[in-house]
Amino acid sequence: MAPGPMLDVHPPAGPPNGEPSTGQQKSQKAMTKAERRELQEKQRAAKAAKAAANGAPGKPSGKPKDQGAPQGGAAKPKPSRASDAQARPTLPAATRATEKAKAGQASMAVDTAAKGTQARGLLIFSHFGLPKPVSAAKGDIHPAIARLALQFSTFKITGANARCIATLTAFKTIIQDYVTPPNHTLSRHLMTYLSPQISHLVAARPMSVTMGNAIRQLKLDISGTDFDLPEQDAKDALCRKIDTYIRERIIIADQVIQETASNKIKDGDVILTYARSSVVEKVLLEAHASGRNFSVIVVDSRPMLEGKRLVAVLSEAGIQCTYLLLPALGAVMSEVSTVFVGAHSIHTNGAVYSRAGTALVAMMAKRHSVPVVVCCETYKFSESIQLDSFTKNELGQSLSAYSLLPSD
Amino acid sequence: MTPELHTIPGHRAVETLVAKLRRRQVVGSREAALETALVLRQVVSKARFSNIQQLITVIREVGRRLAEAQPKEHSVGNTVRRVLHNVREEYNSATKGSAAASRNVYSISKFVLQGQPRKHTANAAKSDARITLKENDADDPDSFARALKPVLMEAIQDVLDELETVYDNVSKNAKDHIHSDEIILTIGHSKTVEAFLKSAGHYRNYTVIVAETAPSYQGHEMARSLSASGISTFLVPDSSIFAIMSRVNKVILGAHAILANGGLFAISGSLLAATAARAHSTPVVVCAGQFKLTPLWNLYHEHGALDFADPSSVLGFEEGKLVERVDVVNPYYDYVGPELVDVFITNDGDHPPSSVYRLIKETYDDDDHEL
Repeated sequence: MAPGPMLDVHPPAGPPNGEPSTGQQKSQKAMTKAERRELQEKQRAAKAAKAAANGAPGKPSGKPKDQGAPQGGAAKPKPSRASDAQARPTLPAATRATEKAKAGQASMAVDTAAKGTQARGLLIFSHFGLPKPVSAAKGDIHPAIARLALQFSTFKITGANARCIATLTAFKTIIQDYVTPPNHTLSRHLMTYLSPQISHLVAARPMSVTMGNAIRQLKLDISGTDFDLPEQDAKDALCRKIDTYIRERIIIADQVIQETASNKIKDGDVILTYARSSVVEKVLLEAHASGRNFSVIVVDSRPMLEGKRLVAVLSEAGIQCTYLLLPALGAVMSEVSTVFVGAHSIHTNGAVYSRAGTALVAMMAKRHSVPVVVCCETYKFSESIQLDSFTKNELGQSLSAYSLLPSD
Repeated sequence: MTPELHTIPGHRAVETLVAKLRRRQVVGSREAALETALVLRQVVSKARFSNIQQLITVIREVGRRLAEAQPKEHSVGNTVRRVLHNVREEYNSATKGSAAASRNVYSISKFVLQGQPRKHTANAAKSDARITLKENDADDPDSFARALKPVLMEAIQDVLDELETVYDNVSKNAKDHIHSDEIILTIGHSKTVEAFLKSAGHYRNYTVIVAETAPSYQGHEMARSLSASGISTFLVPDSSIFAIMSRVNKVILGAHAILANGGLFAISGSLLAATAARAHSTPVVVCAGQFKLTPLWNLYHEHGALDFADPSSVLGFEEGKLVERVDVVNPYYDYVGPELVDVFITNDGDHPPSSVYRLIKETYDDDDHEL
């Protein structure tokens, strides 16, 4: 669901004054390619700075914090060979990583202003926006929501089910803490109180389909609350409805999936799964508990490496496990009898939206004529249509891509 | 009648290279090919022989040992085959005039330029450069070797020269393959692809997306190197290859070895990228030197032909108990079938996978496929 981070790796530019100033004296022709490029870069920087100073309207990322960036960012995308060689060894890896996270934003602002050479490359990613730090709570944000937003944005809570349950549980606390102001009714006012809480969550990380569906149901329940009910009773009723939703749509649904899907596993099967889906984990454990003898191949990928957790759980239960990273998939696919994957959502056109990399696994399975089973609760169904994984998607954390690197 | 190794001249150089290959101190197909050619040059220069058969036996024996030292480093065997081919050619042209040289006319790489092969009529006057050769001369057993060695050295030098200029030659047409504003996806860190992209970068503004290629993460290096030379570069995790493919214009892969059926071995992850490209009908371009052409067929044993690398980079000992209970697979190469490749760009022109077998026939002699 969250695609891995997409980083641009323009190395940081050298110190701004590190550029030789001789370039401008020579004629355009006498300059070497690097020098010409540098000159171009300078001109571009000047232009961008001017544009920034004028507060050029209509820039896609013209947020206040970007205004300062272009000056430094101008040289970032295309450092000359010389200045790069000087700069690189002196910069510690950590600063490099942080630079990178920002580089995209900065250079995007520059390039759109200056029609830069790589605007094209950056533009295809521009609709994603960039993961932003959790903004300070605006207005009256409940502490439970503030904490949840932080957990979402740092990917401490991931997975469609976990996020939905966490959100609903937080809402239960909010509803219990809520007091209807005088001259209002709960059924009318509670939703206006909840809306900013929801937008705070969405600001931390785009809302999952599961949360959307659950919130829609909650809104319906709230508006359907009886006017005459005493406030505490109404709140209790709402909390019960939330509990029912969690139990019926998620927990019992998972149990049904466990039963059905584990019957698809036969003795001697080799099951392949990608990353870690809570439902698939339960299915595999259930099949093992019911005495079937099979082995599991867990395919994993950076940056989250969730498969390690799954392997730990499965091997603890005594299932024979094989662990590999996504690029090695081609080597094992011919041995696999069934692929089980989880889903973030399923769309009206039948498209499955799931952890980045699932498409590769499904594609390879199809090439080897291996059946692919998606384990998905019905509350994950979405009314929208998804044609590819590029138009509507979200970015993962970008810092971890470098900081987790073993050899770097 | 295979000679013992210690009787082979220059056997010390051979032993050293065998040890290096075995310990993987020489890795990478070009590196291995260069070392092999150097050793063979030494062997030939020191060899004593009174007919061509003796020389070929010696080269073969050396080649067999080198190839056995590291069977997955196919370029070693290829270089030996190439040297044998050149040696025979020199011998033939020295003894039979230019009869052998005219074979090149039928080369598939020249077919487009020259059209259908025609009968050669004007090659009679070319016999002035003939060396008087006498095989198995009882009076002076070394006379044959003395006469032939200079041309043999030249033949081996040709192989070396070709290896040294391979990156330049592969990338000389790069600008015809990469156009402005294109988005290129590549995987791993192939020196050939790197040179190719950098060469195109002189003429075009385009964007490269590099998959980081776990678990070696060679993509990081590649991305760093490309962006240092001023190419707009993105580094993405392997998992987003499929998502990004819908925006990619071309996939450029490096190769470890190109097989006779037109398939290739390449760094693991290449199969994913190539298959995803096929799913999106994106062209797949493979950049590789001619020395990677391998007279092998890999139709049935995909798994067994792979080279497996150290599992610790996938699941290290820091995972504690997990290491004991879990099998870890970390293949180094993927086999990418010919149906997934659109073109091979070599230092000898561009070829579709279907004509690779023909190239191999032209590059090596049929007798040498088994060393």
